[in-house]
Amino acid sequence: MVNTAEMKILLIEDDDQMADFIVRGLKEHGHVTDHAKNGKDGLFLAVGEKYDVMIIDRMLPAMDGLSIVKMLRATANDVPALLLTTMGGIDDRVEGLEAGADDYLVKPFAFAELLARLSAVTRRPPINNIQTKLRLGELEMDLLKREVKRAGKLIELLPQEFKLLEFLMRSDGRVITRTMLLESVWDFHFDPQTTVVETHMSRLRGKVDRGFKFEMIKTLRGVGYRLLANP
Amino acid sequence: MVWGIAFLQIPRLFRTESFRLAALCATVFAACFGVFILVSYLNTTKALQDQLRTKINDDLNAFVTEATSDGTDTVVKDIAERLAGKRSNVDYYFVANKLGQQIVGNLTMVEIRIGLQKIVLPADGDSSTAATDEDHEIWGQGQKVPDGSFIFVGQDAFKMLSAQEAMINSFLWFASLAIVLAIAAGLFLSRRFLSRIDAINRTSQAIVDGKLASRMPLRGTDDELDKLSANLNDLLDNNQKLLESLKEISTNIAHDLRSPLSRLRQRLEYAQENAKTTKEFRNFNEEAITDANQILATFAALLRIAQIESGSRKSAFAKLNLSAVFERVAGAYQAVAEDSGKSLVTRIVANVEVVGDSELLLLLVVNLVENAIRHTPKGTQITFTLQRAANKILASVADSGAGIPEDMRLKVLERFHRLDESRSTPGNGLGLALVAAIANLHGTRIELQDNQPGLKASFTLPSA
Repeated sequence: MVNTAEMKILLIEDDDQMADFIVRGLKEHGHVTDHAKNGKDGLFLAVGEKYDVMIIDRMLPAMDGLSIVKMLRATANDVPALLLTTMGGIDDRVEGLEAGADDYLVKPFAFAELLARLSAVTRRPPINNIQTKLRLGELEMDLLKREVKRAGKLIELLPQEFKLLEFLMRSDGRVITRTMLLESVWDFHFDPQTTVVETHMSRLRGKVDRGFKFEMIKTLRGVGYRLLANP
Repeated sequence: MVWGIAFLQIPRLFRTESFRLAALCATVFAACFGVFILVSYLNTTKALQDQLRTKINDDLNAFVTEATSDGTDTVVKDIAERLAGKRSNVDYYFVANKLGQQIVGNLTMVEIRIGLQKIVLPADGDSSTAATDEDHEIWGQGQKVPDGSFIFVGQDAFKMLSAQEAMINSFLWFASLAIVLAIAAGLFLSRRFLSRIDAINRTSQAIVDGKLASRMPLRGTDDELDKLSANLNDLLDNNQKLLESLKEISTNIAHDLRSPLSRLRQRLEYAQENAKTTKEFRNFNEEAITDANQILATFAALLRIAQIESGSRKSAFAKLNLSAVFERVAGAYQAVAEDSGKSLVTRIVANVEVVGDSELLLLLVVNLVENAIRHTPKGTQITFTLQRAANKILASVADSGAGIPEDMRLKVLERFHRLDESRSTPGNGLGLALVAAIANLHGTRIELQDNQPGLKASFTLPSA
């Protein structure tokens, strides 16, 4: 998998096996990880060191993940934070986001999902610069006119296809997982039993890629999608 | 019951509420009775004494008058005649001259003084008077006449005193009888009460010991204990139903997770023996992850249903635009339905507002729509409706597929219940259970009806 630059990551997780799995995976992808086993140590590291992103388990001994995020945000620490929650906790997402976390991930998760989300939360949105036009290679999107052109040729998109493409274009060539699309494009926070993402993606592909020199939308099997400017 | 045990239970008997009540009743009753007896005793005694005194006074006055007019001798003669005739064995007389010497009379121990005297005659003193061998009390009154003589007239107070005694005796008898009866009644009632409590206790113990089908005995008297027993029985029935459904769910969980788990195991074993290249391993691994994900999804769905059933989400209920939620679902699934050869027709009235949890209501309709897409043949038309009706809203997802037989419509809302026809379609059999739980949280229920042909799933909510 193609990767972004090396990141310094703080992991606060009390489950040794889970922590080992994450640390090893991150190392393989060229990232440096500090691991704290409980909330207090984690908070100490988060305050004392400079990290690119934090991965915080919600349930922790000594101090829970939500409190850590709340405390850090209260001290104007805005290092992106990804909360790990256990399955079934439908209230966790809202609580986590309200506490100031940037994203959440339900355990167990695929490692690719974690990487994709880390990459997404570390991408800073352009400050004070509301974009009206997006561009990637020969693909152009006018957010005001709701128009899409590839190589100057107008492409007719349905509202949901437009939203899907907009999300892909904003992701800047990063890997986007199926779950991330469900959450961002449809605001679906569950796993559908039908091919919602695949169906729309295949229709979008039919319009964006068919009849052009190469496919911009790439499928990464078992992981997700990427929108690339070049073949 | 063994007597020893019955004996040991007596203290407990005394501690029962009904015994306390009986004892209290007995005390109040005895006190009332006591006051009543005391008042009548005093009244009666006074009347009897007055009667006695009047009689003595009348007699004495007659003699004094006689002595004053005709002389004391006439009186002496008169009394002597009376005594000789023995007309009465209750009358006593005594006449003394001015020297204090007795002239006539059947009494000797009279003091020469004016006023009331009580004289005790020892027993057997005079068997000719009152035919008893008890001491006799004589009440009498003396008076001086003008010639200096002293006349005394007395009456045996025996009758009056024995009447008093009889009254006291009967009072004591009545009182003791009343107390004994009250205690006996208290004991009897407590025993009866306790025996019923014991029956309830024994039944409870039997249930604790595992005889889950045991129920509290009912007498059909519809009294408090019967009502208590009936309520306990209802509770037990409910619990048993829950327990049975829990058992069924556990069995279903075990059953439904066994197949993917054994599939997973087989795949891993097969991979270990047959995969030669990394690529082959990777393929097997991917399939194994898919299996594991399916198992995890089942667990997640179970947890989610349990969380919804706990009702904690209710605190986050807010006014929401249900039309917008429905439009989102329609937008996501129109293409999915078309690609699987079906059509999704929407009739969604705009700006319908309800109070609830938008995420859960979304999940509810998504499940209904996905079911309609997944479990129907190609060419099926799915109608997705949101309407206003009076002060409520009516939502439904209807399809023209095979439908669900009437006797199965309630069953499919339970966890893990899947129609045999849909066993081959992937799914965990929890979708409709989740739908039912969400509907229940919103105070409504899912109606499954015949769409002629097909199935119509609908629910109503009060409009906000």
